[in-house]
Amino acid sequence: MDNIISITSADRFAKYTSPEEFARIRDHGTISAMWTHCAREYAALPAINCDDKLYSFAQLDHDAALLRSALREAGIEPGARVALLSSNSYAFVKAFIGIVTAGCTAVVLPAHLDETAVFGCIMKFGAKALVYEEELEAKTGFARARLAHIGFISAEAQGESFVPVYESKPGDGCVIMFTGGTTGKSKGALLNHGAVMQGVINGCYGYEQVFHHRMMLVLPLSHVFGLIRNLLSSLYTGSTLFIERNNKDMFRDIAFFRPTMLVVVPALAEMALMLSKKFGRNMLGNDMKYIICGAAAVAPYLVGEYKKYGIALFPGYGLTESANLVSGNPESFEKPGSVGLPYPNQELRLENGELLLRGRNMLDCYVGEEEEAWQDGWFHTGDLARFDDEGFLYITGRIKEVIVLDNGENVSPAELEARFNELPFIQDSQVFEDIDETGRHILALEVVPRMTELGALGAEPMKAITEKLWEVNNAQRSYERVTRIVIRDKDFDRSPSMKILRYHKCK
Amino acid sequence: MQMSRNEIIEKLKDIIVSADPGLEERASSVTEDTRIMQDLGLSSIGMLYIAIAIEEVFAIRFDNVGISDFETVRSIVDYIEKKL
Repeated sequence: MDNIISITSADRFAKYTSPEEFARIRDHGTISAMWTHCAREYAALPAINCDDKLYSFAQLDHDAALLRSALREAGIEPGARVALLSSNSYAFVKAFIGIVTAGCTAVVLPAHLDETAVFGCIMKFGAKALVYEEELEAKTGFARARLAHIGFISAEAQGESFVPVYESKPGDGCVIMFTGGTTGKSKGALLNHGAVMQGVINGCYGYEQVFHHRMMLVLPLSHVFGLIRNLLSSLYTGSTLFIERNNKDMFRDIAFFRPTMLVVVPALAEMALMLSKKFGRNMLGNDMKYIICGAAAVAPYLVGEYKKYGIALFPGYGLTESANLVSGNPESFEKPGSVGLPYPNQELRLENGELLLRGRNMLDCYVGEEEEAWQDGWFHTGDLARFDDEGFLYITGRIKEVIVLDNGENVSPAELEARFNELPFIQDSQVFEDIDETGRHILALEVVPRMTELGALGAEPMKAITEKLWEVNNAQRSYERVTRIVIRDKDFDRSPSMKILRYHKCK
Repeated sequence: MQMSRNEIIEKLKDIIVSADPGLEERASSVTEDTRIMQDLGLSSIGMLYIAIAIEEVFAIRFDNVGISDFETVRSIVDYIEKKL
């Protein structure tokens, strides 16, 4: 069914960017070659701002080279896997560049892992060494006591010999990233240099000013959205990245760093908006031009609200397995519900409504897992999707979440929720299957209202909300209508990445 | 800035309600004994919002602590009082 294939050429994005900047979006083939280019091209420019210190591209290149040489002196050869345990910090950045330019594959461990999990990851991924941030040294103890043959190297280590940047090939392993685990246990996705390079380039399409931004890092670097779209895209574009060490301080730091671009999950974008409304000023600062928003469904409301502050918010869609971005929306004002146009060098196909992917940006495999990432040459995302007439992509739900009704009709909760979420006073919603007092299976809806919008609803906002929700509900096809609506008095339970934990009341 | 404990609590209630739309009813009955985690049931983003809003409203700065480090409203009020 619906065997639609979508392929987008890079030229499709030309009209959104100034011609001079569009011509500068070049493919270096590998991340090591990209870094060599950045270190030479932007040498004197500030690359990283962290803990009140500014590091130029030349300084970062120098520090990464010291780590590269320390790896080689510890007997770590190109092709080896090297685990990296670090919080968001300058230590992470220089270690990551050092590992990758040494020709090794970085296994990025989430900084919150405990010491037995660190040991388990070294074993599972066959790492020959662990590079750690000194503040996290205590988490290496369990592994140190059991793995005498593994190199434990501080991110501050400085080798003495000169080791040039290793000339990796596009197909060589670049990084192993943990998947979100929303569909099951977390897995390690192996991304090669070509895939990560494509992921970095994808982050450059669809907006006017691409190069030399001031960016702020508030997402974890152990997530592809933080690592590729935030850190690597910042380095690639000669931008300066401010590493926020404690997100509580982000608005104070925004006031003096004056970022021009922010990469966030929708929940953080929503929070910044609520604070701006509460304090009557744009908390993201007057220099902010672009917000790149993804990793969860983006409410169209956010696009409209940020537009009032003169900020363009671009929703996108991506996966760990696709080196972050599959698509991004350059026309978010006109099509706020879309995750945008697919990026180049990949094919998207719909099969029974499910989005299938293949292309240069895709993972090689899940490391050490029996589960095969590929079926007949395609990666099955598990997401339901559709395209509009102009080729813009819409995510309409997840296959595993589809509710099959007694009458055989299929209902996608996310697709229904999107319709309720279009109401400005609805912050989030969940459609689910429940059992009523008589034992009958029913469709139910729970919503979390958006406090800042309740003032516009008169003296009895809850009554007004209920009426509007039933109005939307009654406009749906008969089998898609819910029979119970509950307005919650607190947020839904959420996963660590802020995704709503779905109810499974009938499974 | 001079402020009584009651004034601090009133401002805290206002912040809690703006952090989570559904907490209006619960916030109205907040006392010094209200437990932050168990009684309010805030999300991690909600707690981040509250920390930022407290710093903004009271013009103070938290040292290396987060909202989840405080057990009750009383302990937050104590902290704010000391910082004012």
